[in-house]
Amino acid sequence: MKLALAAAALLFTTTTVQADSYEEHDYILNCSGCHRIDGTGSRTVPSLHGMAELSGKPGAREYWVRVPGAAQAPLSNARLAALMNWLVERFTGKRPKPEYTAEEVGRLRSTPLRNPVEKRNELLRATAH
Amino acid sequence: MSRLDRWFEGVTRQSARRVSRRNWLSRFGGVLVGGAALPLLPVARAAEKHTIGEDGVKGPQGDPTRCEYWRHCAIDGFLCSCCGGSHTACPPGTEMSPVTWIGTCRNPADGKDYILSYNDCCGKTFCGRCMCNRNEGERPLYHWYRNNDINWCGGAKSQAYSCSTAVVVKVAKEAQPEK
Repeated sequence: MKLALAAAALLFTTTTVQADSYEEHDYILNCSGCHRIDGTGSRTVPSLHGMAELSGKPGAREYWVRVPGAAQAPLSNARLAALMNWLVERFTGKRPKPEYTAEEVGRLRSTPLRNPVEKRNELLRATAH
Repeated sequence: MSRLDRWFEGVTRQSARRVSRRNWLSRFGGVLVGGAALPLLPVARAAEKHTIGEDGVKGPQGDPTRCEYWRHCAIDGFLCSCCGGSHTACPPGTEMSPVTWIGTCRNPADGKDYILSYNDCCGKTFCGRCMCNRNEGERPLYHWYRNNDINWCGGAKSQAYSCSTAVVVKVAKEAQPEK
């Protein structure tokens, strides 16, 4: 009896989980198709875990919003700012300080990067020596 | 016949002496509830015809081999359920592409919107069965990651498109296209 009830309760609780926040919802719908749910990317798509390499370096904060995937996402500045705060914390372990605001994100995405890989190498080189 | 009668009488008297009514009631209740819960078990669900690879979403199962099935609202391609796989698993000999296009569909059973991942199965020639082209919420090519006319096998080892799956990722916060 107890076992049967426990089994039934377990089955009712292990149903599909709801996206925890709009940030996660926006991440799944706008980023995860290519970067994958866990952010590891693929042969052709960079891993978001690589963000940790840039974390704390000058220019990284601006770079992350100006990459094509972020700058061109069909999201409002407010939703993108919230998503970026969530994303940076998830993949670098540190929430941006100060947090991104809609105003800052709007300004940054107005100058999207044409060559993000080159810019990334430039940021890494600048702090290497 | 009288031997059977005697045996049955013996068993009945014995159980009447040994088992209390409450004990019997609790056992019988256990059987009732357990029996009712049995079809909820994954083993029982897998035994049904069209629920292979079920991903735990409640409601009428529908028929994953049909284009009208709710999970297929934004799909464009051959249904893997008709091609030797299921709506969550690739047919043998194909690889699921890691990159994919993602959309939302409303489950009529609970009225909720779900995020669906339409991972393509790649590595064999196109399946050719159960073509389904519903495209709800799909965007034109300038929103390329919301477009399903491109070959999403780009991230797989082989670029040969075989069929498409429809995997439920999570419950969506809102239906797409978002406000």
